[in-house]
Amino acid sequence: MSSTTVQSLSRATTATFEELALLFPEQELSPEQAAAPLDVAVSVEFRGPQRGRLVLRASSTILSSIAANMLGEDASRERPLQRDALGEIANVICGNVLPAIAGVEAVFHLSAPYVHEGVDVVSRGADEPTASIMFGLENGRAEAVLYLFSDMDDAEPVAQGAVSAA
Amino acid sequence: MAFNVLVVDDSAVMRQMVVRTLRMSGLPLGMVLEAGNGEEGLFVLQEQWVDLLLLDINMPVMNGEEMLRRLRAAPETASLPVIVVSTEGSETRLAALQELGAAIVRKPFAPETLRDTILRITGVTDVEYYGPVPVAGDDSDF
Repeated sequence: MSSTTVQSLSRATTATFEELALLFPEQELSPEQAAAPLDVAVSVEFRGPQRGRLVLRASSTILSSIAANMLGEDASRERPLQRDALGEIANVICGNVLPAIAGVEAVFHLSAPYVHEGVDVVSRGADEPTASIMFGLENGRAEAVLYLFSDMDDAEPVAQGAVSAA
Repeated sequence: MAFNVLVVDDSAVMRQMVVRTLRMSGLPLGMVLEAGNGEEGLFVLQEQWVDLLLLDINMPVMNGEEMLRRLRAAPETASLPVIVVSTEGSETRLAALQELGAAIVRKPFAPETLRDTILRITGVTDVEYYGPVPVAGDDSDF
């Protein structure tokens, strides 16, 4: 299941960035991208047949491009809008990855995206991600991480991968 | 014909993005109104007539499905063209919305997808909007 989940996360992430933000995730990171800090994060909680969280971490250097492509040049300079735009991307990724892993009949309820400043506040202590992907975007990078929670705390270990074409 | 449009979505970013797409699409727009949830949307519709509703599903206070059911139960909005613009992936839920007469556009969407769906459900055709397509006659230079 792990590799399938990674593929589903990769497809949803790639398609969302390409269509919503007109940005193309790069599988191979340049030295500049690899060195860019992941200093902004947004998360979306979900509940339904499975419960969990989608976290999208990104370099703040790419936020203005995301906002500009989604909302126009004027909005790209407004910091709150930049973060809200990243939140919408996380929301759409989450909404697209869940049917892929739980089936198209499953009904999920998604929370509003929550913006985190800093990178350590988005995991719940011992939570292990079920899948994660890292990719380059313009002069920075981003990481999508999917957590599936279980009452028995028996989440599978993380399966890591790189973004593939949608 | 200029369209008055109501966009209902709890995300200000997504409302702005949908409105931007509408303006870039070339559709003849009149008023573009916005609401943050279904309840606010119903209130707007009590005050203003619109020709088209773009509706999110997952929203606080009143979700899009409930708003759509209320619209269909009211004679004055029973046939209002509605496009659900949502990340919703449940086919069960999408089928219920389609039974209520809504067209579906999944996020993420390409601007052309939204534009084409609007043209389809409003009955406006490219020919009506862009005018008659010129046809080369026998005296054409080509």
